[in-house]
Amino acid sequence: MSGIVQHFGTAVQRTCGRDPLAARRLLRLGYHAKSMQLKVMPGALHKAAQMAAVETTAAMVAPLDHPDQSVMVSLFTPCEMLQVLGLHPYSCEGLGCFLSGAWAEKRFLEHAESEGLPETFCSYHKAFIGAAEMGLMPKPRFIINTTLACDANLLTFRRMAEFYQVPQLVLEIPYEQDAEAVRYVADQLREMRGFLEEHTGQKIDEDALRERVARSQRSMDNFQQYMTLRADKQILGDLTGEMFSAMMLHILLGTEAAEQYTQQCVRMAESASPASSGVRLVWMHTNPFWVKPLREMVDFHARVQVVGCDMCFEGLIQTDENDPYVAMAQRLVHSAFNGPVTRRIDRGIEAARQLNADGVVWFCHWGCKHTLGGAQLAKKRFEEAGIPCLILDGDGCDRSHGGEGQLMTRMEAFVEMLEREKEAKS
Amino acid sequence: MSVTHYICKYTPVELLEAYGGSCAILNHMPENFDRSDQVSHPNLCGFGKSLLEACMAGQVKELVLVNCCDSIRSAYDVLLEYGNLDFLFMLDMLHTTGECSRERTKRELLRLAMAYGAYKGTDFDPEKFQAAFQPQARPSEPYLSVLGARVGDELFSLMEESSPLPVRNDTCVHNRSVVGPEPGERSFEELMDWYAGALLGQIPCMRMTDVTGRKQLYNDPYLRGVIYHTVKFCDYYGFEYSELRRKLTVPLLKLESDYTIQSNGQLRTRLEAFAESIAPEQTIQKGSESMRKASTGKGFYAGIDSGSTSTDVVILDKDRNIVAQVVLPTGAGAAIGADRALAEALEQAHLRLSDLNATVATGYGRSAIERGDQSITEITCHAKGAFFLDPQVRTIIDIGGQDSKVIRIDETGSVVNFVMNDKCAAGTGRFLELMARTLELSLDEMSEKGLKWREDITISSMCTVFAESEVVSLVAENKRTADIIHGLNRAVAAKTAALCRRVGGQERYMMTGGVSKNQGVVKEIEKLLGVELKISEKAQVNGALGAALFAMEM
Repeated sequence: MSGIVQHFGTAVQRTCGRDPLAARRLLRLGYHAKSMQLKVMPGALHKAAQMAAVETTAAMVAPLDHPDQSVMVSLFTPCEMLQVLGLHPYSCEGLGCFLSGAWAEKRFLEHAESEGLPETFCSYHKAFIGAAEMGLMPKPRFIINTTLACDANLLTFRRMAEFYQVPQLVLEIPYEQDAEAVRYVADQLREMRGFLEEHTGQKIDEDALRERVARSQRSMDNFQQYMTLRADKQILGDLTGEMFSAMMLHILLGTEAAEQYTQQCVRMAESASPASSGVRLVWMHTNPFWVKPLREMVDFHARVQVVGCDMCFEGLIQTDENDPYVAMAQRLVHSAFNGPVTRRIDRGIEAARQLNADGVVWFCHWGCKHTLGGAQLAKKRFEEAGIPCLILDGDGCDRSHGGEGQLMTRMEAFVEMLEREKEAKS
Repeated sequence: MSVTHYICKYTPVELLEAYGGSCAILNHMPENFDRSDQVSHPNLCGFGKSLLEACMAGQVKELVLVNCCDSIRSAYDVLLEYGNLDFLFMLDMLHTTGECSRERTKRELLRLAMAYGAYKGTDFDPEKFQAAFQPQARPSEPYLSVLGARVGDELFSLMEESSPLPVRNDTCVHNRSVVGPEPGERSFEELMDWYAGALLGQIPCMRMTDVTGRKQLYNDPYLRGVIYHTVKFCDYYGFEYSELRRKLTVPLLKLESDYTIQSNGQLRTRLEAFAESIAPEQTIQKGSESMRKASTGKGFYAGIDSGSTSTDVVILDKDRNIVAQVVLPTGAGAAIGADRALAEALEQAHLRLSDLNATVATGYGRSAIERGDQSITEITCHAKGAFFLDPQVRTIIDIGGQDSKVIRIDETGSVVNFVMNDKCAAGTGRFLELMARTLELSLDEMSEKGLKWREDITISSMCTVFAESEVVSLVAENKRTADIIHGLNRAVAAKTAALCRRVGGQERYMMTGGVSKNQGVVKEIEKLLGVELKISEKAQVNGALGAALFAMEM
């Protein structure tokens, strides 16, 4: 299968060089085929994972199918208002990730670098920029991004707005988590409503928005419950599934599909078999799902299981029931990715305990200064909390950064260490 | 007196001084990042690491940061845990300049005033506040501007030394310009409200949402050239560079540093080449008629190119005919290697040292060679040599042992733009040499075998160490050696083609340097660029030839 995908990726890249529209049609066809395969032949995926994979793929195909109804967003942008208007939000980080999944990232990364962009820039963003500027990605209706979590947001979306000549709205998230910051962001979200109404000519139905945001809260509550239930259950999944789950809990949060997904997660956890003796890991940040030996180690294997990922649980909070704008603002301001890195570490410790994890992998994705800057601090804090922590360097998207052997030696050694500790405890 | 260090132009320096603070920009380039790497990560940006290094070494006791970027936020997190500073504060600046942002900035200023006043045990002094404003004047004579990410003091000195024009530091914190308040009665809170607006109203840095105001940094009638500086793992300014490379009408040099003193040596060549390209009359000596008459030589001119792998010498007669050309391994020392190669060239041409009228040295070892009458960078010499060999050439690709470079020249043979790879071996002759060793082949064998490929293999890693692992894995998978070599050739070609695109390569292309002998690499570059590369039989001694031509002009 990976051979077919590799040929597909090569064909998309080569075609894009001479005929971007043909490459776009090819990519669209490939993603539709993938969607069909996920629906009829999900393989080892459990039902919730299948739902997440199908819905996320559909969200990624939408800008190719309906560019005039698509909105380019950053991962943390609250999308309920866009959903009410029937628009299709898609995350550029997600699309970068999808291009890598289709073995179609290399040419676009090289193109972006040849345009002078830094080699050290986040490869998700860089692959997307390369693909957009080579003509693979169609022009979106407009762009909305937050300043949360990552400097790349400021740079990529500004460049894309200039490149496509489309309106851009930036949601500014203050560093502090105080009531004033929530008010400030809520005001911006109200301005976002005006921005959307102006650019679409449609009115946002407040009741529909209120229901969407309430559904987001129910979905988050379900996911919290699922994490608690998962503590003593064995649910085998895969690394890619964690990325799909992150999409469900961000750009698709507020949709019926996301709520159904989280309900299915709960049902699955309730009926799952008891936890086995395998090593349980919480994964912090994105993951290099393209590293084959890593997938062989953790995908659908009882010996090593990734039981949680902070890209999914960073924003699970209780929000204001009365005001949808305040509720959405609270998710942003109180995200574990906002403020000092110690907030993210503390959330990781809390989740590791909730999920009964044996250890944590702190994945330093190439160029992500927020994650790698806090790496040593994370290791110290996790270990002080009695949770072993592995700092793992790699790249979630760009294969040219290589280092599979080095990455696997560290992973194997960490797993062996945790296995010995588990044995000693039992 | 204790010093309060700061790093960002949005820092309220005047407020700190009004509380009796003595402020200084933290800008020192360390020798290494040993302390920083222990508490953070090697891939933090070079400046973030230098900040940690200075604090961990005890050189900083008071520090006011601004929420500039991910690296500085991370550095702040680390310093809270390990810093052991007397005063540490981070100001949250938003990315916009509107009313809400001003209001929030005012609140941050009040928070800082309270914390700093309590730390110093002083009150706000309005007169000191007023006196602290020192707005910068714009230039009134021709100058070179350093733009982009902040540049360390030591590197800036090197830029000044290499430049034929005055150099102005307009990077990051250095283009700070806050004009003082109009006199008048204001409460402290009203004053801070005004001050918040004044701080936010400066020329924006790249972290701000609206960066259109940055145009005034390069739309200046006196601007004669730009050295655009980026710091490894700082992403903000790479985006501006990407835009300016098409927009600027004055010469532009891109320079990336890792913020250590060690990187300066490597950057010197680029700075000198840039100076040679923008003001050749000031940087490249021309001998006077009387000097030529006084010369005791017999009308022969030598060029010595001291590279990392080989030292090449070319001797020309007064009619520009090559009378000797030598390529020898450089060996342990550049000076000894140059002496040996020159001696052999003289022997080849049946000449004595005294028969030479002038000698010019170029290449990495050029400054170590005492024999030369002048040293000129290999960039300028390669351009000279290539233009002499073929005046139709506009782009030169030179892949040597230690670096690869692409040089663009105009119809007079003058350098108009160039790029070089950085410290990394990726895309250089050394990369292929190491891979040949892994495959247990000589470079000639590798060159020959690579042409007989059948399967299109992609080598993903460009890091030499990781690529070696990949090659070993491919060998273990029984992949054909020719196919692996082809994959390597393509990887080098892709890197080179990217450099060509960055420099705005134009036909006709000439390839020089040792790697031009590798047909596999040449063919792959041709395929990627869609053009034919001209390879002269003198390709390997092109740098030395250019140096000899300069010697004739002395």
